[in-house]
Amino acid sequence: MADLAPEHVRHLAASLSLPLTDDDVAEVTHRLNAFLDALAALDMLPLQSVEPWPTRPEAGA
Amino acid sequence: MSSADDDLAFAGAARQAALVREKRLSPVELVRAYLERIERFDGQLRAFITVCGKSALEEAARAETAAHEGNWLGPLHGIPFAVKDQLDTAGVLTTSGSALLRANIPSGDSTVVARLKAAGAILLGKLNLTEFALGGTIRFPYGQPRNPWNPEHDPGGSSSGAGIAAAAALCSATLGEDTGGSVRSPASYCGAVGLRPTWGRVSRHGCFPAAWSMDQVGPLTRTVEDAALLLGIIAGWDSKDSLASREPVPDYRAALVGNARGLRIGVIIELVDGADTHTEVRSAVIQASRGLAALGAAVEDVSLPLIPHAGAVFMALCDSEAAGYHKRWLAERPEEYDAGTRRRLVTAGLISGFSIHQAARGRALIREQALDALRRFDLLLAPTSPHPAPPIATHTAPVTSKEEAAKRFFARRSYTTPASLAGVPAISVPCGFTAAGLPIGLQLIARPMGEPTVLRAAHAWEQEAALSRKRPPVG
Repeated sequence: MADLAPEHVRHLAASLSLPLTDDDVAEVTHRLNAFLDALAALDMLPLQSVEPWPTRPEAGA
Repeated sequence: MSSADDDLAFAGAARQAALVREKRLSPVELVRAYLERIERFDGQLRAFITVCGKSALEEAARAETAAHEGNWLGPLHGIPFAVKDQLDTAGVLTTSGSALLRANIPSGDSTVVARLKAAGAILLGKLNLTEFALGGTIRFPYGQPRNPWNPEHDPGGSSSGAGIAAAAALCSATLGEDTGGSVRSPASYCGAVGLRPTWGRVSRHGCFPAAWSMDQVGPLTRTVEDAALLLGIIAGWDSKDSLASREPVPDYRAALVGNARGLRIGVIIELVDGADTHTEVRSAVIQASRGLAALGAAVEDVSLPLIPHAGAVFMALCDSEAAGYHKRWLAERPEEYDAGTRRRLVTAGLISGFSIHQAARGRALIREQALDALRRFDLLLAPTSPHPAPPIATHTAPVTSKEEAAKRFFARRSYTTPASLAGVPAISVPCGFTAAGLPIGLQLIARPMGEPTVLRAAHAWEQEAALSRKRPPVG
């Protein structure tokens, strides 16, 4: 997957009304690209049949 | 202050409570001793945001009178405690480490604070933390917390002040909150004991949320016995937390039998032998696993191959929950956030719903892998952190690439977040020191509601290693 560039991130943030200063944009871009890589790696796992419980029912309530 | 006063300060809550009960220790003298230590050391360490000196002395005087009259208030009669400033305290400033809450004074106590007070304990103050318990704060609005073993180094977070105060004996015992390692990390970096209970074991009522699906309040103390003592008081069902467990609360101190006989312990090879694991950390943790084997445990390696994904999965879930919670303030008051917090929350707001859902499924898969291992083993063993406390400056340097972001934000968290994702109890207990004199933490993880097992093994190791007797240079 191609990395997002700072201008893409600026556009995304503006469209979601998220505050993104000139000082923040570089780090947010690096963080977001790191997330995209790390979460894309999950696609290789057998996730389709997994129910996304936040906890095992009997362990919490 | 005399060395006897220092010895008393380092004695810990269980020993002090016994002395108060025997009328050999005055609660007023104990509170005064800690206030003097805070005066001496906290200008440098910055563990506290608020010190409740006047009210603590008044409470101590009442506790002393009650003791003279034979009126026993509870197992922590006259014992001073402090809590992470994420926990509500009636009439006392509660900032969550943020400038946004600089004037927030709750009208009521969080359930855990109310339970400690009901057990006779005295609120000494509120402890520093990374902003909103999220980690990665660049400029702390209430002062830069520092590690008592080397003030140029990070004390860990997000319960930074709780780790410092426990290790440097600035109060008898503390409470932190652990979402992805926020009790265990400062325990590891500061050489204290930090317990993350089973999710739902302790009420979250009155705790400012970091991520509702993983937040859990836990003790940060000088000894395992103190952790067991505090957990026994704060655990249990609470009508104010709809996800609090109704499981009965056992006598956790009764589990501290002094050996590890019969326990099956799996050493997580991905964390012990991981590329990110510092050589001295690996060596200390392997040594501790051998120590537990000598104490009667059956120790062998176990592989949890999904663990390297845990840090990113955790952060996607935790940060998206937090970003949702902070959406309005982010839009209206963005400049009042620390830059590190703001960047973290804005990033989370940009992650797609598809990715968050994949992360939620990833959590379930990681949890099942951990629980499957815990069907074969009573405990899993790993380093709490891949490295000892880093210099503070490493947190404030700009992030210059996605690779660096992944290493800085995901890799370290893969050590503590598996227990958070699985909702199981985990403890960090000191297991050695680096050549430079920085503490190293051993992590033990148990099945849901397996706190007695994790406390038993940690106590056995603590008694064997005797590391809690060491005192930091500052404190």
